[in-house]
Amino acid sequence: MANEDFLVRMLDIHKYFGKVCALRAVDFEVEHGEIVGLVGDNGAGKSTLIKILSGFYTADRGETYFEGKKVKINTPKDAKALGIETVYQEQALAPHVSISRNVFMGREITKPFGILDRKQMHTESMKTIEKLGLRIKDPEAIVEALSGGQRQGVAIARVLYFKAKLVILDEPTIALSVKESQQVMDFMLQLRDEGISVIFITHNLYHAFQIAERFIVLSRGERLTDVKRKDTSIDHLSHLIITGLHEEKSH
Amino acid sequence: MGKQKLLARLLSYKASFTLIVFVILLVVFQIFTTNHTFFKRENLYSLGRLAPDLGIVALGVGLLMICGEFDLSVASTIPTSSFVFVKLLGLGVPLWVNLIVTLCTGLIIGYCNGLLVTNTKLPSFIITLGTMMFWRGLLYASSRMMPIGIRAWLEPGSWLENLFAAPIGGVFPVQALWFLFFVILLGFILHFHRFGNWIFVIGDNQTAARAMGINTDMVKIVCYLIVGFLCSFMGMMQCLRIESFTANQGVGFELRAIASAVVGGTSLMGGIGSILGIFLGTITIQIIESGLILMGAPSFGINAFIGAAIILFAVLNKYITRYSSR
Repeated sequence: MANEDFLVRMLDIHKYFGKVCALRAVDFEVEHGEIVGLVGDNGAGKSTLIKILSGFYTADRGETYFEGKKVKINTPKDAKALGIETVYQEQALAPHVSISRNVFMGREITKPFGILDRKQMHTESMKTIEKLGLRIKDPEAIVEALSGGQRQGVAIARVLYFKAKLVILDEPTIALSVKESQQVMDFMLQLRDEGISVIFITHNLYHAFQIAERFIVLSRGERLTDVKRKDTSIDHLSHLIITGLHEEKSH
Repeated sequence: MGKQKLLARLLSYKASFTLIVFVILLVVFQIFTTNHTFFKRENLYSLGRLAPDLGIVALGVGLLMICGEFDLSVASTIPTSSFVFVKLLGLGVPLWVNLIVTLCTGLIIGYCNGLLVTNTKLPSFIITLGTMMFWRGLLYASSRMMPIGIRAWLEPGSWLENLFAAPIGGVFPVQALWFLFFVILLGFILHFHRFGNWIFVIGDNQTAARAMGINTDMVKIVCYLIVGFLCSFMGMMQCLRIESFTANQGVGFELRAIASAVVGGTSLMGGIGSILGIFLGTITIQIIESGLILMGAPSFGINAFIGAAIILFAVLNKYITRYSSR
């Protein structure tokens, strides 16, 4: 497939930290409106790859294409400008600040001279949260008072409101109860239904298998496989992760 | 909204608690001072003249604490600015030039603090402890710790003095007006402006703020600039009031400013606080001082009461937070 057919295409990505090679010749693609599961053990390079895509690190070698165009993503701001949003586990929100201020953190709705338009921020944040199927009444409630699932909802509402094209969720279910995890996975399906592509990074293959349509397995900085859900199983994936054996099929 | 919820809502504003204690204190002092002198004009007048000194500095320090950083160097920025001010008076520089240069002194010191803190990524408590001692050392060396009166160069009744030290119409202390001005200005910035939201979220979760594209270093440096500016302003204002520079101006202000902010419900960890709270916190501390003196407490032992009051407030604030977040 050509570059234009993918929302994101990263080719031959290398990243070194000193002498340690964190990523070696990794290719990574996301299509329009799909949920990709990015799985692998600790230290496999998942976070490094995602941080390159979201502008926290820059790759030492390799190219990134977004919507068919070659792009340079040097800062988180560059990534945001393209429509790439990252939801970090427990790191996305300010716990003592209100919901609406969190949703609009860094991109506040303002009247002239940078004065906050609180009313607008309240209604818009509530509208988006409702769209996700979350039931929260008070936009002034502080985030600390919410449950874990609701917090993820607030973080996801933010990317929904700002019309992201690609949302990266880094271990969004890790600290959540079964019910709350389910809720967060419903959010992801909702994002896809809005036409937004999702990268779901997780250790939990059971969670990934429920909603991801394609899996990319990393191990020790290399890509082991890229496989559609219908061509694999949880056992197969976990076997790959544990053994770390290459199984790269030619495209 | 039920009564229960309304109460929880009210208490969730930490400042409301300080307000309650504040009012109780006023009543207690009025009743227990001999001849009920607390609300006499003379006492209110002197409070209005003196309280803004700590208040103006505490506003800046509290703002910075909400952003998650400390500034101990205020204790040295104050006398350094005052020193620059009297030196320029001695040189016969036009007053408006003097005013600008003096205010820039604090901006420069604040900028240095901001750069050091954001570039070294070390705790600001340590960095500004260092700059506090550095500037004070320079000041002691260059002033030889001698006080310098301003009357040799500045006749009473200059516009500068009228603006910053003279009572309006002979009755209302202009210092109180300046204090209120800064309360409103900073309150507006912190609670109604985009920049204020950045201050809160940086103090609360710096990683998130940075991930959302907020330039955290810039915001912190601006906060240090605000603190520096306020210290210079206050240093000059105090100098005009006491009609001289003295080397021990500002001694102890670094911790009293932090105490004021804490009494007003500001978190030491950042992310929580309000300008109204800091305002009430700083007046509360000074009302305790003034009230105790009027009640005949030994003036050298006043610190013991203030210290106890600070701990009491911190403990109560903790329980209030627990109650309101339940």
